[in-house]
Amino acid sequence: MTEHDRETERGGESEGDRESERESVTERESVKEATMANANANAPMIELSGVGFAYEDAERFTLANLDLRIDAGTVTGIVGASGAGKTTLAKTIAGFIPLNEGGTYRGTASVAGRVLAEGTLSEAAAAVGLVTQNPFNQISGARFTVREELAFGLENRSVPRDEMELRVDEVAARLRLEPLLDRSPYALSGGQMQLVAIASMVIMQPPVLVMDEPTSQLDPAGTRLVYDVLSTLSDGGTTVVIIEHKTELLHEHCDSIAVLAGGLIVQHGTPGAVLADDRLTSWGVGETRVTTAARLARERGLLPVERALPIGVDDAVDAFSAAKGAAS
Amino acid sequence: MTTTTLYLERTSALHRLNPVTKLVALLSIILAVFAVPHWWIPLGIVAVVIVPAAVLGRVGGRLLRLFLILLLPLLVVLFLIQGLFYPDGSTVLWEWGLAQLTTEGLLFALTIGSRLTALVLGSLVFVLTTDPARLMSALTQVGMSPKIAYVISASLQIIPAFQARAQSILLAQQARGLAIVGSPLKRARALLPLLGPLILGMITDVDERSTAMEARAFGATPKPTSLIVVPDPVGERVARWLMFLSAIAVVVLVVVGVIA
Repeated sequence: MTEHDRETERGGESEGDRESERESVTERESVKEATMANANANAPMIELSGVGFAYEDAERFTLANLDLRIDAGTVTGIVGASGAGKTTLAKTIAGFIPLNEGGTYRGTASVAGRVLAEGTLSEAAAAVGLVTQNPFNQISGARFTVREELAFGLENRSVPRDEMELRVDEVAARLRLEPLLDRSPYALSGGQMQLVAIASMVIMQPPVLVMDEPTSQLDPAGTRLVYDVLSTLSDGGTTVVIIEHKTELLHEHCDSIAVLAGGLIVQHGTPGAVLADDRLTSWGVGETRVTTAARLARERGLLPVERALPIGVDDAVDAFSAAKGAAS
Repeated sequence: MTTTTLYLERTSALHRLNPVTKLVALLSIILAVFAVPHWWIPLGIVAVVIVPAAVLGRVGGRLLRLFLILLLPLLVVLFLIQGLFYPDGSTVLWEWGLAQLTTEGLLFALTIGSRLTALVLGSLVFVLTTDPARLMSALTQVGMSPKIAYVISASLQIIPAFQARAQSILLAQQARGLAIVGSPLKRARALLPLLGPLILGMITDVDERSTAMEARAFGATPKPTSLIVVPDPVGERVARWLMFLSAIAVVVLVVVGVIA
């Protein structure tokens, strides 16, 4: 049985089955539609108020009285040192804390005005897509090809087969996975598996997408591809939260960046403002290489002390041009 | 495709059959050959049904190889032990010390051996010609719980998952000086440090895997759809019932003594 044979197989579905599928689709879309409908221009898409969480038997709170507001349709980067609680924050935004994690939880986390902790895990998963840190564990482990792996989540949401095929082809094209579609998920490299893990969540088209270090195993081309897709999703109205160490990328693609330290959001603002903050390294966050180079240049008198340090390449060109102009 | 299954991708009528039809045929054959107490029935089924099916499915060569590797040594041992040491044998054909070659022993070995041959070859033809993904979809289509289907599929995939993880742990340990070359004993000893991280790692991954499955809506609906839809024509459904009823009829005829 070739893949072509599989694709051309038809006739197993009766009209009744299709009707039932349509009803299921209506049900699963309701949470997503409600999430989109509740999101209005003035209210934040994601709002965390006084959120604290301590894992079972932990001596301290990983998240401590944390406040965070994220607007709809934006891309927000979360940065922080290792162990700062970034993964815990991602799970909290996605509703897995407290719905699926034991421990002490306080405060309120809502998405589009809905408090996820008051609903079910299934409802939370329909509202927020979560890409976990380890792509190996994002793979279902029960599908034999990448094509089937991508469709796994759609099958669980009772998406009709025709739509599934369209969405698989579309996401595979966007993330350049076509050559991998007929391979086993376990025969992939780490980077390829990470792209499949991301695609497996993007394909579900959640209103909010939370990604925990999604490019840790990707090469520069793969990383750029993922960020391009995230930008497109954001342009289409999806709210994206991305936990990432690569500050250059965050500067380039994010609308805002939040810094997590000691279980609190200690800084949240535009990429320019956050990444130029002098306290950045003390929070365990690496500044961009451009900033590091500019800092060294300033120490050697090549840049004026009063000028804010550049973050990206364009800022640096402006800063050095201005300094050169002033000197001449 | 890296899986633990023996499936061979071919274009054949047998491959196109609904996997449930093949499964019912296999179970019917097993039921019949174990119910009927005659050695020639299983061998007849092998000759008339299983071997032609393997040829039709273009997996005859692989079946022969697997027969020689897996089954033939077992059959040789079976005939040696039962033929020479059968406790109730009275018609002695040849003897040497404690070993007695008896007609009863040979007949017993033939009966068991022919059943085993039909069972193993039938199962191999099924596995060689059945895409596991289609099998899971077909079973779900006929009403098997998606959760049970997940468990079966995940079990089939667990070996490549283990291999991938073991390989990365072994590489990490070799990088820190672990030597895995030398005598078999030395190599076996070198595997011990692998077991702890491998098993503990798989256990700790369960939590993250479960989070990922929830995020991908596993169990969100009792009736998920399937990307692979396996055709199930009326003819095959009728054939399944006929095969099942025939197997039951054989068992009944044996029980009431019509087939002795």
